[in-house]
Amino acid sequence: MIYQLLTRLDEKFGFETAQAHCDVPCGIYDPSTAQIAALTVVRMMDLMAALESGDEKSTTDFHNSMERYISVKEEHAEKAKHEIRIIWGDYFKKDKHPNVDDLVHKIMQLGSKVRQTADREAGVAFVAAINEFAEAFWATKEVKTKKAKAPYAPALEMVYPDL
Amino acid sequence: MLRIHKVTGDSMSPDFQDGDFVVLTTVPFFLNRLKIGDIIIFEHKLYGTLIKRIASFDPETAEAYVEGTRPDSLDSLRLGTIRRDAIRGKVIAHFSR
Repeated sequence: MIYQLLTRLDEKFGFETAQAHCDVPCGIYDPSTAQIAALTVVRMMDLMAALESGDEKSTTDFHNSMERYISVKEEHAEKAKHEIRIIWGDYFKKDKHPNVDDLVHKIMQLGSKVRQTADREAGVAFVAAINEFAEAFWATKEVKTKKAKAPYAPALEMVYPDL
Repeated sequence: MLRIHKVTGDSMSPDFQDGDFVVLTTVPFFLNRLKIGDIIIFEHKLYGTLIKRIASFDPETAEAYVEGTRPDSLDSLRLGTIRRDAIRGKVIAHFSR
């Protein structure tokens, strides 16, 4: 309430500013990178399962494709964890968002599980947890969110800012 | 005396974020001593009006070394020490969205 009052006074009279400078441009936080990375993890699991169900399992092409899917799954699981850690550590305030700590811990654990295994259920849970994180993030910016299926495989339900 | 400033930039995030408001006291510092950890607003000849946290004091000159929260924040390595007469005041209240 006081913040809203100060915002109105600032619009009318314009308070002096105090700059909190960084060495590099900063302040751009967005969970979408983590969401897409998590979705990629599930996509790789699906491709791995499809490849596994085929007949050709001893060819060089099989091993080459499987290796590439696993590598991309590893890379994107770590990318998602990295992005979440950045937003959690640099943006969220512990006193104002106490529940985020547990959610981030859950994301870290799921991120490890999807690297260790090809468990699709864990992959879907990883996406869901990061979607929950995205909802919490956009709420801090008073931006409404909407849920919609991703317009590409694996077409899981995702949280998007309703801008 | 009290003044209100609006924070711009993110070097103090997550403690102070872009768009937050702070109230600072400009009571003379011999009545309101500065200490390590205090958030101050000060004038810098190159960067203008800045908000930072006091990290330490020079033992000889009592000038302040300052830092931000984020690792890429400008700090006294770039800003130099902050003289007492450049300090506008100490933050005593903070309002965020």
